[in-house]
Amino acid sequence: MIAPYFALLVAFGIVPIVVAAGTSFEPSVLNPGGGPLNYLLALQDFRFLDALINVGIFLALYVPSMLIVVALMSLLLDTVQGRWNLPLRLTYIVPASLTGATAVLVWYFLLEPTLSPYQDILAAMGITQGTQIWTGSNLAWIFVLMAFFTGAGNWIVVQYGSLQSIPDDILEAARIDGANAFQIAWQIKLPLIRKYLVYMGILVFAAGLQVFVEPQLISASVYPGLASNWSLNQLSYTFAFQQNNLGGAAALSLMLLLVCMIAAVFVIFRTDFFDGIGVKRK
Amino acid sequence: MTTTAPNETEVGTPHLTKITHHNLNKRTASGSVGRALVWVTLIVGALLSIIPMIWLIIAPSKTAPQLNNDPPFSFGSFENYVIAWQNLLTFQDGIIVQWLVNSVVYTLLIVAISCVTALLAGYAIAATAIPFKRTMLITTLIAMIVPPVALVLPLFIQISQLGLYDTPTAVILTSSFYPFGVFLAYIYFTTSIPHDIYEAARVDGAGEFKTFFLIALPLSRGLFGMLAFFSFSAAWVNYFLPYVLLGSAANFTLPVGLGILFSSTPALNPGNGAQQSVIGRPEIALAGLLVAIPILIVFLLSSRLLVRGVLAGAVKS
Repeated sequence: MIAPYFALLVAFGIVPIVVAAGTSFEPSVLNPGGGPLNYLLALQDFRFLDALINVGIFLALYVPSMLIVVALMSLLLDTVQGRWNLPLRLTYIVPASLTGATAVLVWYFLLEPTLSPYQDILAAMGITQGTQIWTGSNLAWIFVLMAFFTGAGNWIVVQYGSLQSIPDDILEAARIDGANAFQIAWQIKLPLIRKYLVYMGILVFAAGLQVFVEPQLISASVYPGLASNWSLNQLSYTFAFQQNNLGGAAALSLMLLLVCMIAAVFVIFRTDFFDGIGVKRK
Repeated sequence: MTTTAPNETEVGTPHLTKITHHNLNKRTASGSVGRALVWVTLIVGALLSIIPMIWLIIAPSKTAPQLNNDPPFSFGSFENYVIAWQNLLTFQDGIIVQWLVNSVVYTLLIVAISCVTALLAGYAIAATAIPFKRTMLITTLIAMIVPPVALVLPLFIQISQLGLYDTPTAVILTSSFYPFGVFLAYIYFTTSIPHDIYEAARVDGAGEFKTFFLIALPLSRGLFGMLAFFSFSAAWVNYFLPYVLLGSAANFTLPVGLGILFSSTPALNPGNGAQQSVIGRPEIALAGLLVAIPILIVFLLSSRLLVRGVLAGAVKS
């Protein structure tokens, strides 16, 4: 019964890692001898540090803003039960349908002052040309904006769902004790959904570390070269497809994968998120 | 009782009633300002959420000059959608139709394979005696938390070695690996269906498959909907994996094709492509809309599933 899934797990979850590990030691033009030097060379590549810093800034903006806004919006949403609750939730997940290539397209339009629905706001900020926005130093903010709008809505709905699992008698007891809505949200609801927020934070971090589509599409077509090799994944892609250095590409992507796997193991064994489902030994 | 607070009238003792009243009076003073702030925040959030989508829906109704000159939310005409579509068809002999068909076929196959395998595996881990159950579960959880993007390059190396590069099979099979679905199914079969039912069926002499098909499957329609929802929304928009695993335009999906339109028409960058191209901004907005609308429709249709918390319902010890 488990066989079909097991076959997929082995074939496309485990074997690719083994194959890539083998490839990561293969010789390349850059490193005719092959071996572990591929890893060092990937880290020493002149574009690596810049990409690392870019992704670092991206994560430093993206993860906290997701956590704060999602927690705030789901707590607020939880206070307005009744007929407007469902319509609000539905509107919040609308941006999740604009992902990847579509997100790039939509944000190109939104940030283009001649086309944007926000053109008045942009004009008030003194922005009348797209080139004022699309500069190297703004890229992290722009990519955060794209990723944030794509991801936040779904997570708001998910965390709102987490809030529904809080037993009513706990909230009732707090009200009887005289806690106001703010105190209930801050001192009772927030700690109770903490583990869901931690889980989300780690998932968002792991996904953000792998940022690729947005910078790749922007610099491949819209503003040529603006964000080339901007993220670590793009650099790995460049190694593989432009520099014929599959060994270096495999080395770099395995290092990124390792970080994500450490994050995964951390969630599973060092947080209480998966407690009680049979992961930990009794 | 002067204050109206229907939720708080069930308090039992007089002593408690007094405390509640005291706080209620204090609350109503600052409460209405707080209420207003809550609503303003929620409504601003809602507006920010739907403005991009509304703009994208309206955009192809306008001509390129209208897009530039008319107010952002003015509507052009329905005729312009048809014109934009006909213009899109001129791109590489109507290859967009092929992309659309590819996207539909790949996605349907991925949803079918991923949901069936996940349902079976989730059930097997939850309700049957299989060896290495815990290892299986932990491996699945790791695979679920690691973002799929992290495996794209290793998959590319493997697929190339297998000689499957640039084949639909490569995209369909690799995308059908669905650990999150297995996790959802596992949780469902361990928490929502009492374990005794499986035991009873077995005692009655039903084999694993019979138990699954006669007992578990009829009880898991809601689960199947949820699995299909997440599988569909990931497969339909996936960009990086098909982009890397496919090489020829005839095999591309709609999102990858959209990227091709970005780079080979002057719609977003006047420096690109042939200057006489009729693919402009209305056309490219329509192409983007074709990617976005099916996802939006599925989201709205599945809203019933999203009412119950995905995580909260799933992880409860």
